[in-house]
Amino acid sequence: MDINLMIDITPLLVEAAWVTVDISARALFFGFFIASALVALRTSRIPPVRWLARAYISVVRGTPYFVQLLLIFYGGPAIGLRLDPFTCGVVVGAFNIGAYMSEAMRGAIESVDSGQNEASRSLGFGRLATLQHIIMPQAAPLMIRSIGVLAIILVKNSSLVSIISVVELTYQAQRLIGSTYKPLEVFMLSALMYIVIIYAVMGIVEFLYRRATRYTFL
Amino acid sequence: MEFDFSPVIDYWPTLLQGVGVTLLIGVAVAVFSVIGGQIVAVITLYTRKVVNWPLRFFIWLFMTTPLLLQLYFLYFGIGEWILIPAIVVGVLGLGFHYMAYNADIFIATIKSVSSGQYEASRSLGFGHLRTLLYIIVPQAFYRALPQLSNNMIIMVKDISVLSAIGIGEMVYASQYAISVTFRPFEFYITIAAIYYLINLMMEAGQTWIERRAAYRS
Amino acid sequence: MTQTTETPMVELKGVKKRFGDLEVLKGIDLSVDRGKIISIIGPSGSGKSTLLRSVNNLEVIDEGTILLDGVQVNRPDLKGLAYEKHINHIRQNMGMVFQHFNLFPHLSTLDNVTLAPRKLKGMKASDARALGMELLERVGLADKAQVYPSALSGGQKQRVAIARALAMRPKVMLFDEATSALDPELVEEVNLVMKGLAEEHMTMLIVTHEMTFARDVSDWAMFMDGGVVVEANTPEHLFSHPDQERTQHFLRKHLGAQA
Repeated sequence: MDINLMIDITPLLVEAAWVTVDISARALFFGFFIASALVALRTSRIPPVRWLARAYISVVRGTPYFVQLLLIFYGGPAIGLRLDPFTCGVVVGAFNIGAYMSEAMRGAIESVDSGQNEASRSLGFGRLATLQHIIMPQAAPLMIRSIGVLAIILVKNSSLVSIISVVELTYQAQRLIGSTYKPLEVFMLSALMYIVIIYAVMGIVEFLYRRATRYTFL
Repeated sequence: MEFDFSPVIDYWPTLLQGVGVTLLIGVAVAVFSVIGGQIVAVITLYTRKVVNWPLRFFIWLFMTTPLLLQLYFLYFGIGEWILIPAIVVGVLGLGFHYMAYNADIFIATIKSVSSGQYEASRSLGFGHLRTLLYIIVPQAFYRALPQLSNNMIIMVKDISVLSAIGIGEMVYASQYAISVTFRPFEFYITIAAIYYLINLMMEAGQTWIERRAAYRS
Repeated sequence: MTQTTETPMVELKGVKKRFGDLEVLKGIDLSVDRGKIISIIGPSGSGKSTLLRSVNNLEVIDEGTILLDGVQVNRPDLKGLAYEKHINHIRQNMGMVFQHFNLFPHLSTLDNVTLAPRKLKGMKASDARALGMELLERVGLADKAQVYPSALSGGQKQRVAIARALAMRPKVMLFDEATSALDPELVEEVNLVMKGLAEEHMTMLIVTHEMTFARDVSDWAMFMDGGVVVEANTPEHLFSHPDQERTQHFLRKHLGAQA
C-alpha cells in the first residue's frame, strides 16, 4: 500500500468531501420544506390538490433519482430550466428526498394515537394548533429517526452528481483512480470519508432524538 | 418550448433493447442477491468470529458507501488486474451491494424466529443444520419478504446507475440517440415513464407476495 | 413406585441441574413403566418444567442419568457430531408438546405433522400423507389439513402439535403445561385428546396446572417444590390426603373448594 500517495491525495479528497456535505445539507434543508408542503397538500380539503400531491410523490418515488437528475440537467433547457451542475444537484436532490420525507413525516404523524387528536380538539384546539402543540411533539422522535435514514441516503445519492461533473467525493475518487492507478488506496480513503460523513449524520440524529424524547416516555 | 417525440419513436428498438437489458440485469441481481444474502446471513450468524467478522465488515462497508463508488472501484480497480466485461462488473457490483442489504435483513429476521421453533424442531429429532434448513431459514425468509421486495424495487431503479460504467441499459442505450437528435428531455422522460411502469408492476407484485406470505408467519 | 420386572420406559437417577448458582433440580429419582401416566405438579419455579425438558435433553443435566427404554439419554462422554447423532436419534423416540405449541408457521397443518417422518425416516410422500391424515383425524382436525397454523385457534394448534409429536411413533410423550396458554373454554378439547392417548396406553409425562385432569388421568402423581420431589403417590392419595404440609398448602390454593 502506497502511504505517501494516500497522504498526498487526502487534501483533494477532503475538499471534495466538503462538496458532498454541502450539496447534501442544502438538499436536506430545502427537502424538508418541500416535504412539509407535501404533507399539508396531502391533507388539503380540495380533492384535486390531494391527488396532485399523491401523484407527485408516487412518480418521484417510482422513478430513479439518477434519471431525474439527467432529465433536469440535460433536458431542463428544453423547458427553459438552465441550472449549473451544483444547483441542479441541490434542486433535484431536494425535490427527490422531499417526496420520501413527506411519507416519513406522514407516517410519524399517523403513528400518534388518534385519541390525542380527539382529546385536543375536544379542548377547543384547532387543526393547526393541535398539530403544533399536541401531535408534533409526540411524532418528533420517530420523524427524526426516519429523516436521519433519508439524510444518509441523500449523502450516498449525492455521488451520482459526479455524472454531471460536480467535483464531489465520488468524482474526485474516479479521477484519482484514473490518474494514479492505485484504485485500492483511493477507494479506501474515499470510502472512509463517506463513512465519517454518515457516522456524523447518525450522531446528530441520535443527539436530536435524545432531545426530542427528553420529556416523553417512549 | 415545443416537444418532439418522433426521435424517441425512431429509436424505439434501441430503447426497447435497453429495457430488455434492464429487466435481465434486474432478474439476475435479484436472484444473486437474495440467495447470496441468505447464505451470508446464515454464515454470519452461525460461524466463528474469524469467519463472520470479515463478512460483517463487508456488509457494513457495502451499506455505508455509495453504489457508484463501489462500481468505479470494481470497474477501474479490478479491471486493472483482470480483464472482466463491464456487464459482469455491473451485475456483480449491484449484486454484492444488494446482497449486503438483504443479508442485513435476513440476519434480523433469523434472529426474530423464536427459540421455541428451534426447540420444537430439535425435540422432533432434527439436528442443528436441518433445523436451520427446514425451520429457521424458511420462516426468516417469509418474514423478510416485505423488506426484501422493497430492496428489490429500489435495486431496479439503481440499474440506471450502471450506465456510468457503460452497460447498455435504458439510459446508456439512448445516449447515442440523444447525442444525434439533441432531444434529451424527450428521451429521459420516456425512460422515467418506463421505470415508473416497471415500478408500479413491482409494487403490485409486492402486495400480492405479502398477502400470500402473511398467513405463513 | 409402580412395580414391574420389565425395564422402565423412562428412568431418572439422581438428576441434578444448575442454572448458574441456582440449583433447580436437586437430585431427582423417577421410574416410569411402560404405558403409565405420571403427572408432575408444583408451583412455578419448582423445577417441574426443567425436569421434563431434561428428559428431552433440551436442558443438559449436570449430574445423574436419564434412561429411555434402557438407553442412556444424557451422554456427557459424547462430544460434537457423535453427540448430535445420538441425541437426534433419542429424540425421535420421544414426543414433546410445548406450552406455546411452537407449530411451524410456514408449513400447512399436514406438513407440520409429516415433516419429521418424511425428512428423518425418509417416508414416501404418499405414506406420510396417509399417516398425517390419520393423526389429524385422531385429533379431530382432518378438515384443517391444508390450513396454515395462523388460522387455527389455540386449542386446535395444540391438537396439531400433539399429532406432530405422534408422527414419529414415539415411545413416550412429554407434555410441558400443554393447556396453560389456552383460554379456559379450549382446555377440554386438548384434554380429551390426551385422555384418548391414555386409553391407548401411551406412556406419558405430564407437567400441568390442571389438578382435576391430573387426578383423573394419571397412574402416579408427583408434587415438586424447590427442585425436589416433595411427595409422590397415587393420585387418589396425593390429591385427597396429601401427607406433606407443603402439598396440602399448594393444593388448597389450587383446588380451592374441590379439595
